[in-house]
Amino acid sequence: MEVWGALIGPLGFATKSLRRRGFHSYLAFLGLTLTVATTTFLLLLGQDLATRLGVDSSMRSTFGISWLIFAYLVLALGLIGIVGLLSTSYLVSSMISQHMRDIGVIKAAGALPRRLLSYVTFEALLVIASSCLVGALSALLAYASWSWPSISLFKQVGPIANAGATILIVVPMISFLLAYMVASVRVRRIVGSSSVNAISKQLANLDLKSLGKPLRIGRFGSAFNLATRNVSRDRGFNKTLLSMGVCICLSMIVLSGALVSADTSASYVVRAMPPHVLIVANINIYNQYVSLATSFSRIAPLPPIDYGNESYIISPQNASAFRAIPGVQTVDTRLITMSSITGYVRAHFASNQDTGENINTQIIPEVDTGSTNALIVGINATSAIGNWYTSDGFLQSSDAQYTMIAGDSLVGNIVQTPFNLSQVSALGYRYDVKSALVDPLNAGRVLYAPVETLQKSLGLNGFNVLLLKVNSDPTVLIAVSQLASSFGLVVGSQDPILNSNLTFLNDTWSHIFLVPILALALTCGILLSYVATNFSRRFNDYVVLKVLGANAWYRLRLLLWESWGVIAISMLIAIPVGWAVSIFFLVPDPSVSVGDLELSTIISASALTAVCLVSAAIYSRRLGFTTVKDLKP
Amino acid sequence: MGSQDEEIEVRAPGLAVDFLDVSKAYMVNGKPLKALSSITLNVKEREFAAIVGPSGAGKTTVLNIIAGLEKPSQGEARVLGLDVNASNEHSLSAFRSANIGFIFQSYNLVSTLTAEENVELMMELAGWSDSGRNEKLTAELISMVGLTDRAKHLPAQLSGGEQQRVAIARAIANDPPLILADEPTGNLDQKTGLEIVKLLARLKGEKGKTLVVTTHDDRIVEMADVIFPLENGSLGSIDRPARVRN
Repeated sequence: MEVWGALIGPLGFATKSLRRRGFHSYLAFLGLTLTVATTTFLLLLGQDLATRLGVDSSMRSTFGISWLIFAYLVLALGLIGIVGLLSTSYLVSSMISQHMRDIGVIKAAGALPRRLLSYVTFEALLVIASSCLVGALSALLAYASWSWPSISLFKQVGPIANAGATILIVVPMISFLLAYMVASVRVRRIVGSSSVNAISKQLANLDLKSLGKPLRIGRFGSAFNLATRNVSRDRGFNKTLLSMGVCICLSMIVLSGALVSADTSASYVVRAMPPHVLIVANINIYNQYVSLATSFSRIAPLPPIDYGNESYIISPQNASAFRAIPGVQTVDTRLITMSSITGYVRAHFASNQDTGENINTQIIPEVDTGSTNALIVGINATSAIGNWYTSDGFLQSSDAQYTMIAGDSLVGNIVQTPFNLSQVSALGYRYDVKSALVDPLNAGRVLYAPVETLQKSLGLNGFNVLLLKVNSDPTVLIAVSQLASSFGLVVGSQDPILNSNLTFLNDTWSHIFLVPILALALTCGILLSYVATNFSRRFNDYVVLKVLGANAWYRLRLLLWESWGVIAISMLIAIPVGWAVSIFFLVPDPSVSVGDLELSTIISASALTAVCLVSAAIYSRRLGFTTVKDLKP
Repeated sequence: MGSQDEEIEVRAPGLAVDFLDVSKAYMVNGKPLKALSSITLNVKEREFAAIVGPSGAGKTTVLNIIAGLEKPSQGEARVLGLDVNASNEHSLSAFRSANIGFIFQSYNLVSTLTAEENVELMMELAGWSDSGRNEKLTAELISMVGLTDRAKHLPAQLSGGEQQRVAIARAIANDPPLILADEPTGNLDQKTGLEIVKLLARLKGEKGKTLVVTTHDDRIVEMADVIFPLENGSLGSIDRPARVRN
């Protein structure tokens, strides 16, 4: 009796049942483990990247571009988490559905529902718990080998303290709880349903409404026609299609989002510092300007300099002389200086409505938002070289003389939103902030004001930096150099500065691209599990086909059409949706390269097609070893 | 084992199934398990052979080898002239789809296909690409087994007897010379089983097929031209009923 008690207790039932299912139990365990491991690893990787980028770029980049990078990372990791949880839910649901017939048989044999519930739930719990545990350990090992020797599990990332350790515990735990909930609900539903329906698994799994004229394309052969009927008559087809579609869509958003975000951040830099631009200035100002322009991409101390030194000033007449050189398209005259600034939020009225009809209006006094040093650039709005990304437009000649545009690194601290209430005090004057822009200059700690206003503040009549937009004719450089030399000025190209900044950005993004690539790998792994699970449900039919005389090539084609057909339909819907979200909802004013969209599509389609090929090949090989004895009644 | 005359008979033409000292062993948990021990049997064309014996005697293994789903561990097995040992998986599949019809104890219809689609599938597997002709033949076969009004039903919507009748229609859809049936009435009640027995009789009588049937059903055994008793993988004394001998 004791032996029987041990054998038919929940653990005995579970282990015997899992052993009996063999290959199918292994598939379920592998699928869940892969999902938990990859999701956890990706989130650990993401927090590691965020930590390293935060450390590396805290003194570099601009706030706007850093925000874009971190926002992408957060979004990507969030979407990866959703894919992981969706997949866990689907896999557990499929695993339980495969037990439906057995549950029905045991229930029909007289097992008490409560006992049956505990036995089947315990079996699912064994698989789920072991998958989550092995998955978490695998993720930790993979992460440790990736980030060796500087493993960061206990650093703060954003609001999350000890981010790595938190992820390592929370993700598998959430996966476990979700899987357990799904399993419990599913088992209860099956136990509560009619035994006949549970035993007659065939009928329960088939969509009778889809009978009728099936899709037949003679040219594609018998295997295609059979596959369309198998897939379209599967009750779970719509659910599978939706799950796959969501997974593919989310990974497309992560992949194409990375490409769009990278291109967009690069475009912000190029717009602020266009190519084919020459810098003309006194040698000291020139060196200082280069340091300011490259502070986006490298940390170097900025020596103090007297920007207003008479010897550095270029007269308006001299500046105009450059306009006369053939090949010079635009002369952007600038006066730059470094100054201490103080930010304010102006006093204003604020009103709120209480629960009744009373409206309370109160005066909010002026608020000092702090002080810092910033680069102030006096610029002529009509001849500015640069097409900055701005929030509310660049300076116009119609703007008031005490109007400023703030660099993105000042926003959120010195300059507050809404901008119409924000003011900056600099050089003894108060300026209204009109807008913000993304500018690599001085890593975004820059303010643009009308040059006449700055000249008046500094008591200067001239400029200390000229930017010349030129064509690609090499003789232009010679002519400009000759003229500059005659004024005691030096000439340099802005191209190396731009390239240096873009190289820094590309380097940052190249680390981040690991996330979408691994996310795609996660999706492929999950789809492999989906496809294999669907194959397992029709295992008996495939064996029958083999016994009836379907050769290996026919069976392979059937499996390929069944797997690739569903994935192809999912891709047709999900990939364009992924593009649309990446282009229209991810980043402001995106820069979209058709080549990048094509690349992301080709990569995704190739990877997903490879999933079909691998799954069909593996299953076809498995079928090769089956005989009549493997048929289930 | 047979006499000298029967040994000559094994090698004579007109044999649908020709086993010579066929043995089959499996590895189970690392140990060899002998399913068949030196079986020598032959089934003439158009003959109805019944293989009888208790569960685990090796009946299904014999059918598997005849169908080319398994190869003997030892001995020679020829089916309609094809040497099973010497053939590869591809040629065995092609042979099976063109020459063998299989009827299972558990019907084993493709669950996602209707009755008529299950029958038509067999024609497609045999390489018959004329869909118009296939549809016409399918209708005839469905009518032959008395299921015209159930032709568009899925297996899950058919009773056991109806499914087995569809399985019989499927088994002859590709007009195979050899039909194998593994306990075709095993899951059916007496009355339904009788319908199946009658259909099998028609296959032999009207269609001139060679049948090899594993069975416990006395009604089928009574119809057989030759009875092969199997026990523990060994063949007992082959019985040819008096009506056949005469």
